[in-house]
Amino acid sequence: MSDLSTKPSISGAESTPIGKPTMALAIGAIALLITGVGFILNPHKVASSWLLAASYTTAIAIGMLFMVMLHHIFDAGWSTVIRRTLEHCLAVFPWLALFFLPLILLSWIYEPALVWKWMDPNYDLASIGGHGTVGEDILYVKKSPLLNFPTFVIIYLIVFLSWIWLSSRFRKASFSQDGDGSAAHTMTCRNTAAAGIPLAALTATLAACVWIKSLDYHWFSTMYGVWFFSGAMRAALAMTVLVCLYLAKQGALKGLFLRSHMLQLGNIMLAFTVFWAYISFSQYFLIWNANIPEETFWYVLREHGNWRYVGYTLIFAHFFFPFFFFLGHRNKILPGRMIFICIWILLTQLLDFYYNILPYKKDGGGDPLEFGISFWDVTALVGIIGICAWAFIKSFNKTRPIPIRDPRILESLNYHE
Amino acid sequence: MSNKVYGLLAKFDTPAAIMKAAEKVRDAGYKKWDVITPFPIHGMDGAMGLRRSRVPRFTLVAGSAGFTIGMLMIAYMNKWDYPLIVGGKPFFSPMFAFPVSYELTILLSAFGTIIGMFLLNCLPMHYHPVLKYDDIHEGTDDQFFLVIETTDPEFNATETNKLLAEVGSLEIRELEE
Repeated sequence: MSDLSTKPSISGAESTPIGKPTMALAIGAIALLITGVGFILNPHKVASSWLLAASYTTAIAIGMLFMVMLHHIFDAGWSTVIRRTLEHCLAVFPWLALFFLPLILLSWIYEPALVWKWMDPNYDLASIGGHGTVGEDILYVKKSPLLNFPTFVIIYLIVFLSWIWLSSRFRKASFSQDGDGSAAHTMTCRNTAAAGIPLAALTATLAACVWIKSLDYHWFSTMYGVWFFSGAMRAALAMTVLVCLYLAKQGALKGLFLRSHMLQLGNIMLAFTVFWAYISFSQYFLIWNANIPEETFWYVLREHGNWRYVGYTLIFAHFFFPFFFFLGHRNKILPGRMIFICIWILLTQLLDFYYNILPYKKDGGGDPLEFGISFWDVTALVGIIGICAWAFIKSFNKTRPIPIRDPRILESLNYHE
Repeated sequence: MSNKVYGLLAKFDTPAAIMKAAEKVRDAGYKKWDVITPFPIHGMDGAMGLRRSRVPRFTLVAGSAGFTIGMLMIAYMNKWDYPLIVGGKPFFSPMFAFPVSYELTILLSAFGTIIGMFLLNCLPMHYHPVLKYDDIHEGTDDQFFLVIETTDPEFNATETNKLLAEVGSLEIRELEE
């Protein structure tokens, strides 16, 4: 308690370093260099790997931003201990913005139809089993106010500026509170969260639609933003548990991140497992029921070749297995079992991104190329996650591991299931 | 009025005292006993050596039954009892049966949970021997009680009395059935 009464001289004066960030930077930089070589060797192949890795990592970060905002909007007590770790994870947004630049620059300078075919009105659809060009395609013409390069750049700026602005506000208020202990910072965060939840919902939906959904720009689905959100939350929760368990083992959160916190995170993961299934099923069900070619083709593509088995895997490995796993109370309080299911969910969520992104690459007959994990997927993921880990460790080393003067910190430290 | 003894009741005046007493009673191997406190005491379940509630088992069984009933009901009605083509869809598909099965899963899970909770708590219970103790209302105010039943295999009038005195109770009473 003496720690609470003595005022640190500057904000975040005390910290618990969790090791040198240079290791993560080195691994990330090497992987990015290899991916960079890949861009020169095979730009079409690596561009899709890059989009996959960048959007997957961004989804995790957005999920964490939502978790911080949910904590503030509900004035939650139990999650205060976890919140600081999430705030450090939010340091990755400027880097994620940077990681989307190569796709924009290459589409602008090198080849407009590198990833998104609709960026090139002269793109010959015959090469992917269609007819005419994109510019003559009535479904493109009708959607062209949204799907054009300038709008794409504006949306990129809007979404990343929103996320960077929101995350820096939460980080700044929380870190300042370590110094002066003022409850005003908590109120700032609560108000920001109230405005931030609709803002982040709109920007995440926009991002999911222009980055991923527009890969097959003929398609219609009103569930897509929610699909992105549900997957983002699942991956973010899994990543949070893994990071917190690592910090608890390594020392920074030892005795602070408790079994009861992990149980609650496990319960939320169960809820979002059901939510993801609800959204994914509803999307399929509405399209199956209406049976309109403009919508069904998206699933028909995903029943071609081995994509069919990816779909089955998602149903059983991404829903049924985690669902029954999370029903067990012991599975949510034993660290080993939580580590297993978190890695499992991160991998199956990645598979869901494969399933949503990669079938846009088609052969001359219009059929999607077979599902496969390429070397470049791995290097792009390791590179982007490595740099994000570097940004996280760098931020973590600067402040205390928990918001020590948050009004609800004691409630969280003594949290009992 | 029968003179059959239901159990021994011991009174304590702080949460810490009854928590320590509960730990001792648990370690002495008693099974049929309970505590009466005016508010939930964190950690009491551990001090009493209670296992997790078995209500979720009722929920799981009832929920699974709900899902199965939903699927079978729609299969029976649409494929066998009154086959009708709607929107060019098959007579039966798990797709359109899913929302109904899902709702029935939730409905029966809720019923199962409530019924399981009532069964396991032996509710409704209109009478309990502790109600014969005149000062039991203090257990809803500022006093804490521990009751060991005579039907407990470990129960022994003198030994149990000694144990309750050792753990620091302020008062020990015999409760009539």
